[in-house]
Amino acid sequence: MAGRSYKTQAVVLRSMRLGEADRVLHLYTLDRGRVGAVAKGIRRTKSRFGARLEPLSHVELLLHQGGGELQTVTGVDLVRPHSAARDDPYRLGVGLVGLEAMLRLFSEQEANPRGFEALTRFLDLVDELPTRAPARPALDPLALAFQLKLLWLAGYLPHLGACAECGEREPLVAYLPRAGGGVCRGCASGGLAVSPGGFAAIDALLRSPLADAGALGLTERDARETLQVIASSYEYHGGFRLRTLSA
Amino acid sequence: MFSPAVENLVAQLTRLPGVGTRTAQRLAFHILQRPKPEALALAQAIQEVKERVRFCRECGNLTEEELCGICLDARRDHGLICVVEQPVDLISLERTHEYRGLYHVLGGALSPLDGVEPEDLRIDELLRRVERNGVQEVVLATNPNMTGEATAAFLADRLRNRVRVTRLASGLPVGGDLEYADEVTLGRALAGRREM
Repeated sequence: MAGRSYKTQAVVLRSMRLGEADRVLHLYTLDRGRVGAVAKGIRRTKSRFGARLEPLSHVELLLHQGGGELQTVTGVDLVRPHSAARDDPYRLGVGLVGLEAMLRLFSEQEANPRGFEALTRFLDLVDELPTRAPARPALDPLALAFQLKLLWLAGYLPHLGACAECGEREPLVAYLPRAGGGVCRGCASGGLAVSPGGFAAIDALLRSPLADAGALGLTERDARETLQVIASSYEYHGGFRLRTLSA
Repeated sequence: MFSPAVENLVAQLTRLPGVGTRTAQRLAFHILQRPKPEALALAQAIQEVKERVRFCRECGNLTEEELCGICLDARRDHGLICVVEQPVDLISLERTHEYRGLYHVLGGALSPLDGVEPEDLRIDELLRRVERNGVQEVVLATNPNMTGEATAAFLADRLRNRVRVTRLASGLPVGGDLEYADEVTLGRALAGRREM
């Protein structure tokens, strides 16, 4: 029995009620990627685990793998609680966009240390994020940069060097998900119109460290176009829409 | 394996939260073994609760009348509203015998990941109650978890400058030892310490 227990760092992506006092957790772990686990009794006020296993928490877990699909949480140490991200509605909104993107793009039980590192770095930055309310959290440069980097890690990096359809080095005027990047005027049919500023914003967000995203000086139009490119990539490559992007 | 009637009972019981097939079979056999009047009393209780019980027009609590007993009670403080997620939370607060105001049951908590938006909860009804009834204070008693805190923050924002808004304190359970407290709860207790 002890042989099937293991320790790993993890981020709690989602938490759902189960039965009388339990929760099912969707975790992104350093060692095994996406893992589902049951945390027993954590909704009881006497539980010592409950406060440590809220969504956004970065924890070190002791997990037991039984015969079923879900593993069982048997021990929790807090690495970073990310309480600051949860306490402010704007920061929470940005954090939830990141969690949902991770949930949808990385759904396999397969380790991806770079993905885990990007996620923990993102959450550290969300803690310190200045609120831009009443702006939509989905348009925050940090949320956009993190999603673009996740698309990159998932193998859906938008191609921006030349027309993704014909390969010509013409100015890009639209984004075509089926081509996987920006396209020239001649290939733009059915594409999503993107301004030169929008393409420059996507390029800058991809090239810069996450910490610099807020300082890139994105206009609202740049942010909206970047968000549309991200959302259309999700729809085309993954067949899903993020609920948090419409909030 | 069983008769169709038993299979049907097991299937219906399995639909209850936290009841798996094995538990449903155990419950079904228990019902079969009990005297007929006892089993039928259970069926009748379920039928009655579905026919009679509804949500209070004012606060969303469970009631058999148009308004619940708490909303009708003139001795309670009608200038004070405590906002909870579910009727079961209201029962927990009533057990304290510390609260003499009214309640407002939201019917859940905001959760963008699960698609629960403000229009899915009884938030507009709360805002109308506050405007209409001269409410002095709203106590936010949503659960101290991510969705509950997000809901409380949203409501506090909507109610700001209209009414006094307070939040239930977070901290250590009475009767416990400090050494067993988790760091998040203990941190909250420190942040919310009071002068003596």
